[in-house]
Amino acid sequence: MKFAILFFSLALQSVSPEAAQHMQTGVEAHKQGRLDLAIAEFRKATEAAPNLPEAFLDLGEVYAETGNYAAAIAPLKRALELNPELDGAHLQLGYALLAQGYAGEAIPHLERVRALEALGVAQIETGLYQEAIASLSAALVKRPNNPDLLYYLGRASGLLSKKTIETLIRAHPDSARVHEAMGENYFALRQMPQAEQEYREAWLQRPDIPGLQLELGLVYAGTEQWDKAEEAFRAEANRQPGNAEAAYRLGTALLQRGKAQEARAELQRADKLQPDMPETLYSLGKAALLAGEFALAEKSWTRVVALEKETSLAAQAHFGLAGLYRKQGKTAQAQHEMQEFQRLQSSTSSRPN
Amino acid sequence: MHLDGCGLERDLPASGWLRVDAHRLLSRRRFLRLAALSAATPVFDVRLPRGLDFTLQNSSTAQKYLIETMPGGVALFDYNNDGLLDIFLVNGGRLTSPMQVPERFDRTNPRYWNRLYRQNKDGSFTDVTEAARLANPGIGNYGMGVAVADYDNDGFADLFVTNYGKNILYHNNGDGTFTDVTAKAGVAGGGWSVSAGFFDYNNDGHLDLFVTRYMEWDTKHSKTCGGAWRTYCPPAEFPATTNLLYRNRGDGTFQDVSQKSGIANKKGRALGVAFADYNADGFTDVFVANDGMQQYLYRNNGDETFTECALESGAALSADGKPLSGMGTVFQDYDNDGQPDIFVTVLPREIYGAYHNDGEGLFTSRNLETGLGALTAGSSGWGVGLEDFDNDGWKDLLVAQSHVLDNVEDIDHSLHYLEPPLLALNHEGRFERADSGITIPVAGRGLAFGDLNNDGWMDAVLTVLGGHPIVLMNRGGKRHWLTITLRGTRSSRDGLGARVRVNGQTRFATTAGSYLSANDRRLHFGLGDSNSAVIDVWWPSGAHQEIKDARADQFLEVREPERL
Repeated sequence: MKFAILFFSLALQSVSPEAAQHMQTGVEAHKQGRLDLAIAEFRKATEAAPNLPEAFLDLGEVYAETGNYAAAIAPLKRALELNPELDGAHLQLGYALLAQGYAGEAIPHLERVRALEALGVAQIETGLYQEAIASLSAALVKRPNNPDLLYYLGRASGLLSKKTIETLIRAHPDSARVHEAMGENYFALRQMPQAEQEYREAWLQRPDIPGLQLELGLVYAGTEQWDKAEEAFRAEANRQPGNAEAAYRLGTALLQRGKAQEARAELQRADKLQPDMPETLYSLGKAALLAGEFALAEKSWTRVVALEKETSLAAQAHFGLAGLYRKQGKTAQAQHEMQEFQRLQSSTSSRPN
Repeated sequence: MHLDGCGLERDLPASGWLRVDAHRLLSRRRFLRLAALSAATPVFDVRLPRGLDFTLQNSSTAQKYLIETMPGGVALFDYNNDGLLDIFLVNGGRLTSPMQVPERFDRTNPRYWNRLYRQNKDGSFTDVTEAARLANPGIGNYGMGVAVADYDNDGFADLFVTNYGKNILYHNNGDGTFTDVTAKAGVAGGGWSVSAGFFDYNNDGHLDLFVTRYMEWDTKHSKTCGGAWRTYCPPAEFPATTNLLYRNRGDGTFQDVSQKSGIANKKGRALGVAFADYNADGFTDVFVANDGMQQYLYRNNGDETFTECALESGAALSADGKPLSGMGTVFQDYDNDGQPDIFVTVLPREIYGAYHNDGEGLFTSRNLETGLGALTAGSSGWGVGLEDFDNDGWKDLLVAQSHVLDNVEDIDHSLHYLEPPLLALNHEGRFERADSGITIPVAGRGLAFGDLNNDGWMDAVLTVLGGHPIVLMNRGGKRHWLTITLRGTRSSRDGLGARVRVNGQTRFATTAGSYLSANDRRLHFGLGDSNSAVIDVWWPSGAHQEIKDARADQFLEVREPERL
């Protein structure tokens, strides 16, 4: 299609018959997949018509198609010298430069044609993380859930975060925020003693920072120190009574410690603050069962099943319901839930959660 | 009639009586709880008694052969009937890196022998392995566990040793020696056997034998996992296998009834086994702890067959429907409601399983209510027992702990390879950590229970990979106790499978449970402040015996009535 347009364009220009012949032969060769011949013909066309930008563009495009980006760059640049408005050349040159590692040079070309995916990657490569996030987010609007775009957006976000933290560390090396950031890093690396130490230091300096006790609680939960986790989550929940996560975490810590009634109350509060969170509802079902409140357990798990449908959490809720119905002597319902559990277990075990 | 966990109609067990008893005792036990909490001293003295010079040779290699992280068993039993518990310890063997085929583990080298230590009157031990003719553990055998019972009802406890290789049955000759009768008995098995136990599944008075097997694995087909971490592979990397059930014919031979009984209908990755009659139908059932998959509960159908019904009964998976890395197990009543409950030790992030027996063949996961969520979620458990260490009338929990992977700390900084054992005292059904007396972490594996010094306070012996066994001698106290020795006449001589209730507490007579290990067959009960006891014994033969006003603080033999 692209070449046909070129021919239409050529017909309007005064091109020598020799150059036109090479162009036509090149296009035919390209159609047949004979890329080497196409390159040879387009090169001859550039020699026969050294001021014809389309000839250089076609030559560069075929080079790029063969993966020879190094060879593509010169004819594409020449095409743009002859016609700076040639968007196709900007696009191809942007890709070729990016492929060759010249991301900074590629950016203006990609910006001009709004090739957002490649532009985002080039911006990551040049350290323009904020701009990359904007480009990739815009690209994702057009191609939602594209794995490459999601990957690069994640990478850009991560690098921006890292860069920001590095700036923070340079500017305020012993600040509470630095300790908090270090705590997050150690937590991600599962180096819990160090994470605990950093969060504690942050809290000593700035007990007003919201979320610190929540993060500290997660460290304790991660190391199964549930008494300390309860204490930290409770501190956060007291500090932020409207924070659903704090309530949920406190509820799970209480549940882990076997404090059924308290756990049930806290998880109900979390559910009220942020309704229909499947994890909250699942834990609420467990707490309710422990507290002997069977109707609430049934209601919570039934809601999880409705929300989650085919996930492993739904399987767990079915399992919980099976046990609950068995306990209540509702044999048929128990069997049904167990069957659903087994069905989901076999289907969810074959895919990552 | 009610439907039980297997969907079969059963008569209701007479559990209502037991619940009444438990309630009656409640107020007194609350008082006892306060007393227990005030005791800050360790429950045990940690000892290595004179003469107990055993080292568990597991022979760690760079090949990360799975067997090297699994041994070894310990048995507490009185082999010479002198009234003192003796100790039998199972050794691993020598592994080379890599192993040559055929596999030989240098078991002729005394360093790799299993060992029998006779207890002397002063509490020291004497190695009598050679004199007892136990010095030949089998050249192609890497040792695992041990089961103990008087399988031929001659009054002397016999030994069954499990191996990676062939298992060995040693008959106790009654003169201080043992004879390898494996070939005659027909119980060599094969593959990788782990925990085993004797029980009388058909109530004929002859003790039968259950042997768990872990997986289809050999050193030739071993591999490492974890990429650069190079560590032991999880069990799912190897094919599952079947367990073995041998019926005792009563003439010194056994019949392999694994297929016929239905035990071999399901393959698993079994590490632990425990017995109890969970549905009070008079027949002993079997719980098998499987690693990395669902647990198995074999309901005894009473016709020499079993039905595996853990899933339907609620004892197969965690409370969240997740498989457990089941290793050790115990099947006893922790909450004094008269019905045996199931505890399973597992890996970190799973929480040790506590399945409460709700009656009617159903179990409910109660690991959170019991306090195990906070106590065990970061630990790896192996040998386990429910014994009343403080004699307050509630069975406490002791667990041998250590991760499977010796380099787990490199992989997950929040986990530990070496761990101290967990001692958790039972306060009316809720467990709280107590000081065991062991302050240093170890690679605990086997764990057996018994009253080594006959003082009425339960002791324990823990095996340690690559190290000496640890003897936990109970410091004792002022509370009362009662220890019962069953003497079966129509039931098996040891009375295994009997249900014994003392002042509202129930024990199921067994030497099995824990991991790889065998316990003192005597039944110990803490009596708290009571200086007398009411005893009920339900024998496997169907006989029921009641003894009123038994004096506390004594070792009491209860003989089964000759006639119903």
